[in-house]
Amino acid sequence: MTQRQTQKPLLNVEHLTMRFGGLTAIDDLSFQAESRQITAIIGPNGAGKTTVFNCITGFYKPTVGMLTLHRQDNDYLLERMEGFDIARHAGVARTFQNIRLFQRMSVLENLLVAQHRTLMRASKFSFAGLFGLPSFKAAEREAVELARYWLERVKLINRADDDAGDLPYGDQRRLEIARAMCTRPAMLCLDEPAAGLNPRESAELNKLLLGIRDEHGIGVLLIEHDMSVVMEISNHVIVLDYGRKISDGTPDAVRNDPAVIRAYLGEDEDAEVAL
Amino acid sequence: MSGQATLKEAGLTALLSMVLALPLIGLETVEEQGGLTLDTRLLWVLLIGAAVFAGRLGLIAWRSRKTVGTSTAAARRASALGETMHGIMPWIAGAAILFAVIMPFLPFANRTVVDLATLVLIYVMLGWGLNIVVGLAGLLDLGYVAFYAIGAYSFAMLAMHADFTFWMALPFAGLFACAFGVILGFPVLRLRGDYLAIVTLGFGEMIRIILLNWYHVTGGPDGISGIPRPGLFGLEFTRNGDPAFHEFFGLEYSSMYRLMFLYYLILILALITNWVTLRLRRLPIGRAWEALREDEIASRALGLNPTAVKLSAFAIGAMFGGFAGAFFATRQGFISPESFTFIESAIILAIVVLGGMGSQVGVVIAAVIMIGLPEWFRELQEYRMLLFGAGMVVIMVLRPRGLLSKRNPTIRLHAKKAGAMR
Repeated sequence: MTQRQTQKPLLNVEHLTMRFGGLTAIDDLSFQAESRQITAIIGPNGAGKTTVFNCITGFYKPTVGMLTLHRQDNDYLLERMEGFDIARHAGVARTFQNIRLFQRMSVLENLLVAQHRTLMRASKFSFAGLFGLPSFKAAEREAVELARYWLERVKLINRADDDAGDLPYGDQRRLEIARAMCTRPAMLCLDEPAAGLNPRESAELNKLLLGIRDEHGIGVLLIEHDMSVVMEISNHVIVLDYGRKISDGTPDAVRNDPAVIRAYLGEDEDAEVAL
Repeated sequence: MSGQATLKEAGLTALLSMVLALPLIGLETVEEQGGLTLDTRLLWVLLIGAAVFAGRLGLIAWRSRKTVGTSTAAARRASALGETMHGIMPWIAGAAILFAVIMPFLPFANRTVVDLATLVLIYVMLGWGLNIVVGLAGLLDLGYVAFYAIGAYSFAMLAMHADFTFWMALPFAGLFACAFGVILGFPVLRLRGDYLAIVTLGFGEMIRIILLNWYHVTGGPDGISGIPRPGLFGLEFTRNGDPAFHEFFGLEYSSMYRLMFLYYLILILALITNWVTLRLRRLPIGRAWEALREDEIASRALGLNPTAVKLSAFAIGAMFGGFAGAFFATRQGFISPESFTFIESAIILAIVVLGGMGSQVGVVIAAVIMIGLPEWFRELQEYRMLLFGAGMVVIMVLRPRGLLSKRNPTIRLHAKKAGAMR
């Protein structure tokens, strides 16, 4: 495939297939996600959405397929990289469906762990840090400033010194996003960020995600069940069913796609005749 | 709980205890002509059953009185206690260090006391070292004594074969232990939890068995004796030393000086361990350890290399174990594989767990309880172990997460600005 484009997409997924033994969780999936866009992956339960995320973020090694992330004129082949290298070098950050914060560490500490690599280098792998050299202190101040910025964005600045595990559910969701953003990613993968949020919280989440997209110029990849979130903020929606892509386009196009309606609402005889 | 259910539960408990007691207490071997015969002691078994029955009834009654509405209050009281404890912790720590420094000059400090305090401090240091691995990084290590042994044997062999003094050998002892930590760590750190514990346990035993069987190098079960004593800038703590400590300072010779010197030596080593640990905790590496303990998957998603992070914790923990080992060798003057059995690992781990994972002060308290008290109550003979077991049970019931389990953030955004990287 040599379709030269004027600009390479941020993430190019080609022929991704993931099999677990006899079960094919993802079947020949190809799609692209762009910078400064919110790309949503939707689909019924068990459609393979989280598996796609796990392949992108290196938790699974895909059976077949090529995942290319384009960042600052470098191409990273994600399927060949270790999970932590993907986060480090390719700049893919993620959140989890079941929130995974460092519960017994403070909110601020959570955000500093996200900046581990920068700080570790500044501490000269702990030798400079051990004796509190000024260069390390400056780096740490900078890291705290970045954390402060994100805490203000997600409105958690007042809880910075509390244990992450003590926050209410909605706050924990936002903190997880802030933590992912503190890694300074090129792409942010959010696994059901609106799950368990009330309407007001999910409206706030929309605003936050639009802000991340527009102000920070990164690509957002989103798995979501809440259609008010998906339809309102996505630029591009991909619909999966049984591991296959059944639709791909703008929210409006997808909403009216008969294949999508069939997957979500089931088939009845009349509909089949009508088609 | 209704009366009938209570009786039933107490009855079941009594029955269970009698089943257990039957082989343990109900049968007695009696020496007779021509060998041993078995004698039964059924009355004892019945008595035990009755005692357990009554005890269980009492326990149920006590609990039911407590659970009615007061359990939350009790929990709150406990957490409030934790909060105040937490506030005065720096003062307690300071006072403890001050006490430790002047202790040998206090009137009650005789040879036994100083010697016992030295022993306790060895375990404090080992506890602090293991705390990095278990408390901070959350890696269950059941073979920590291996690094202690490596440190001790490194020094002993360097002294025997290369005439190293204690001070020359000390860095090497730490370095060797550290290297072994890395060698062990590479293959096993992909394992988690229970599996890691089993492998480290195996490693601990391997080291001991190698020391036991590699006769021409380690002396096998005979051990190594005549390990040199440490000196203070070349001053020796012997009667005819050249130069001797007491002569240099114009003092009367007393073997007490050597004990006090050893005491201060381990105090300094332990405090260095503590300082480094506290320091590392506030550095990215320390936060990475704790992050890994909290959630390995999330850490990986944030770009932490789990193997490297675990390895660093393992290596640094091992290093302090090695230092403590070298000190142990020089204090004893004689080492053999006997000193590095699994029970030592278990005691060190118990100190860490009892103290509250990750708590530095907790380790000190736990070491005093675990090492100091059993030695202190030696007059009680075999009952001291019984008391010791009971004490452990009491602590685990009252404070299941260890004596001091509250964690202090390593950096703060608000208030207490001084807390941020002093």
